[in-house]
Amino acid sequence: MKAKLPTIISVGRTKFGEHYEVEPEKLIEEAGLAALDSARIERRGLDACYFSDYFLPITNKIGLEEGFLSELLELNIPMEITRSFSSALSNACNAILAGTYDIVLVGGMEKMTDRWDKIRDDLMLLEDPWSYYAGCTPEANHELMFRAYIKEHGISGQQLDVLNTALAQFSVKSHSNAMKNKYAQFRKEILIDAVIKARIKAKRPLGLFDFAPISDGASALILTNLEIAPSYTDKPIYILGHSMATDYITFPSRSDLTSFVATQLAMKSALKKANIQLDDISILEIYDQSTMMGLVSLEDLGFCERGKAWMDMYGSYQKDEKGYELKERRIFVNVNGGLKADGNPLGATGGAEIFEIFQQLRLEAGERQIKADEELRFGCVHELEGFGTKAYVYILGGK
Amino acid sequence: MSSEPIERRVAYIGDRLRGSRCNMCGKEYFKLKNYCGTCGRESFGKMEHIDFFYEEGTLEVCTLVNKPTNKFTKLGPYIYGIVTFHDGKVRFPGRLTDRVIKDDDEVSFDDLEGRKVVPRFRRRHAVEPKSIIPTISLAFSFADEYYPYQEYRPVKPSRKYEKPGIVGYGVYSSKFRIRERMMERSVPFLDEDSITAAVEAGKMALIHSGVDHKLVGKVYVGSESNPYAVKPIASKVAQVLKLGEECQVEGVQCVDAIDTEFACKAATSMFKDAASLVYYPDSQESYAMVIGTDNSQAAPRNEPGGELDLFVGYGGSAFIFGLQDVIARFEGWVSFTSDTPDFWRRDTQPHPSHGGRYTGVPAYFKHVTKVAKELMGRLKLEPRDIDYFVAHQPNAIFPTRAAKALGFKEEQFLPGLQVAKFGNTYSGCSPIGLAAVLDVAKPDERILVASYGSGAGSDAYSFITTSQLVENRTRQKFTVGYQAESRFVDYLDYDAYRRFKQGMEAA
Repeated sequence: MKAKLPTIISVGRTKFGEHYEVEPEKLIEEAGLAALDSARIERRGLDACYFSDYFLPITNKIGLEEGFLSELLELNIPMEITRSFSSALSNACNAILAGTYDIVLVGGMEKMTDRWDKIRDDLMLLEDPWSYYAGCTPEANHELMFRAYIKEHGISGQQLDVLNTALAQFSVKSHSNAMKNKYAQFRKEILIDAVIKARIKAKRPLGLFDFAPISDGASALILTNLEIAPSYTDKPIYILGHSMATDYITFPSRSDLTSFVATQLAMKSALKKANIQLDDISILEIYDQSTMMGLVSLEDLGFCERGKAWMDMYGSYQKDEKGYELKERRIFVNVNGGLKADGNPLGATGGAEIFEIFQQLRLEAGERQIKADEELRFGCVHELEGFGTKAYVYILGGK
Repeated sequence: MSSEPIERRVAYIGDRLRGSRCNMCGKEYFKLKNYCGTCGRESFGKMEHIDFFYEEGTLEVCTLVNKPTNKFTKLGPYIYGIVTFHDGKVRFPGRLTDRVIKDDDEVSFDDLEGRKVVPRFRRRHAVEPKSIIPTISLAFSFADEYYPYQEYRPVKPSRKYEKPGIVGYGVYSSKFRIRERMMERSVPFLDEDSITAAVEAGKMALIHSGVDHKLVGKVYVGSESNPYAVKPIASKVAQVLKLGEECQVEGVQCVDAIDTEFACKAATSMFKDAASLVYYPDSQESYAMVIGTDNSQAAPRNEPGGELDLFVGYGGSAFIFGLQDVIARFEGWVSFTSDTPDFWRRDTQPHPSHGGRYTGVPAYFKHVTKVAKELMGRLKLEPRDIDYFVAHQPNAIFPTRAAKALGFKEEQFLPGLQVAKFGNTYSGCSPIGLAAVLDVAKPDERILVASYGSGAGSDAYSFITTSQLVENRTRQKFTVGYQAESRFVDYLDYDAYRRFKQGMEAA
């Protein structure tokens, strides 16, 4: 493998949820220190920082986040803010690959509950102003995708009941997984019946328990290259492939309403870069802002056939408490509880996904540790910005 | 606060649903694009600007929004979805408007999806009272309900007249009504106001006349309920209806647009100006449009001035004047004006005030009967020479009494008496009466109109219909009679009526 291969040597995060008393930069301090401590790196050892927050300028009226972080860290090194953890990590990977820097901190933070009264307007306006002007909500596009999906694939009657149950099971499984995640926003089992009742109450295709919450939180990691990594850890995790793709801002204007093209493209390219097969991946973290988005993402990433993910999900729920049986292979999905139960502080979410895969591949996930049928070699992380406007895929692997 | 450049750009695209078509491969796009994604650089300069303002779409998928974002909360639960045009070639996000969904209503998406929809020009969302009022046509209603899909097809005129006249007209009243004391009154939906009614009425007039929108050289909009103290309704109408030649680079229309105000006669007063303009040989203007529009204001019933609350309506009417393919030519006109302060609204006051009990005798009756008598005298006409008489109608009693005092019989004045169907639509009021008559009149009939505006004044016009009237009629389904009798009308109770009149910005 290449000497400059981006390599994660440590991770850190905060609990996700509501952090009423805490400033956003204090959240990243906690996550960043955890990562630094774990790798036994002094902050002065960092060459640069890549941070992310989706919309602190709006939620917290903070513009030059880099300045707050320079003050916090007492460092004058290069720092850049992007909107998602994955985009920060992507820039960091490119810098490491290019040999520009040797050790960087990647961190994400978000403070959504500070803006609880206006957050849905902000989220929707940023997702797509035209849909906002037409009356869209952060939930509506997920529901329209559901409607388009069942029409496209001719799902009705009993099949529709199965699909609805499969989506509910996805949520139930997420909550169940989060029981063992001390950082998760929701550590509470839910019942399939509750998910379905919430939909009936909402009179909509998806209900309260189909959607990820709004959250505060931060996550961080230390990235270096393959060459240097062994001096910090004996269990480095390599970023074997990373890729991203984009799509129209206006969801209704896209050619396909039943999938995210950006995810498909990013996955294809990430697999190629990592030079592995889809079948080599046994654990993945998908971006489930809703159960529907989770379902479609399983198809977009290639783990299920188009129009069939719900059957696989339904079928494997009975057999496998933790994992899924997709294309006759056992696969672990959102073991940390996913966005649904772990939480979704936008700028930090991708970091929590990496955090999980990092720990799992190092067999350090404690009581969450999965026991795969074969050796746990490769993990996949998927993150979206907007409603599929940007998609990131990371392929991680240990030794 | 509003950003006027952002508002200008969003409205420019959204009010008319502007898009683009690649003339190389035929691919269509929402929003204006300089090149096609498929054809790339070669398509530069070959992208055609199109719009979907007069098109019929299909609601592809939908969901219920019962937890809207903050700026949509006043609309109550609504259906939101994706609308396709041209067999799925282009898709828009869209909200279904003109629909009241109650908490216990069952909503079946299967029943809604796949149905044809028509874009509607509406307020976009709520804003602060000081802000620019945002508008958009990403609101839709079902074509098989109250508001039908109608093709707009400009027709090449076949006959030129010596004297000007009406070449087409349109009336718009909302789907919602309140029914009280033998009277039905139209009520705007929460996203409607006098601006949206003006655009709708103008659209109907273009459809009915078959006049090429590019040939309309001036538009007058009379209203006393413009939501702005300063900013014309007419400029919005001109841009949304693309009146006059459009200079596409700057997005400017070669048209004159002006708002007028004189209580309920703000529109009828401009009939003669529009006619004179198109008649003046050097004006170069083929057509002029006059719109009367109001979301008629009234204080709540139990407050001073609340008597009006029993009569006010909502709606607009638009008349296009020209010299070609005239459906009703002018025979004569006359006006009277006096400084009679019978009804007024001071700036910043939300509701008008009026003197005593409508000051019927020294205000309405004096002006209406005098102006009608004067015009009949000048044209040497007796009541029996006139087929239809239309008077301003703030209620049913006033115009009936005035008509009888002038010697008219019921068959002469009842066809034009529409107040019991729509309420007093202020500037749009006597013009709606005139439109109702034109909907049913035969060729070579004489119509006498006597408007009235508080403050005070009256305009009288005599029109003679032509045979062209019958041909134009085939183009318009959305007639006054249809709107009055449509089975899709929704009736509201008093509380909902007050809430709807306040609109989506109500506190």
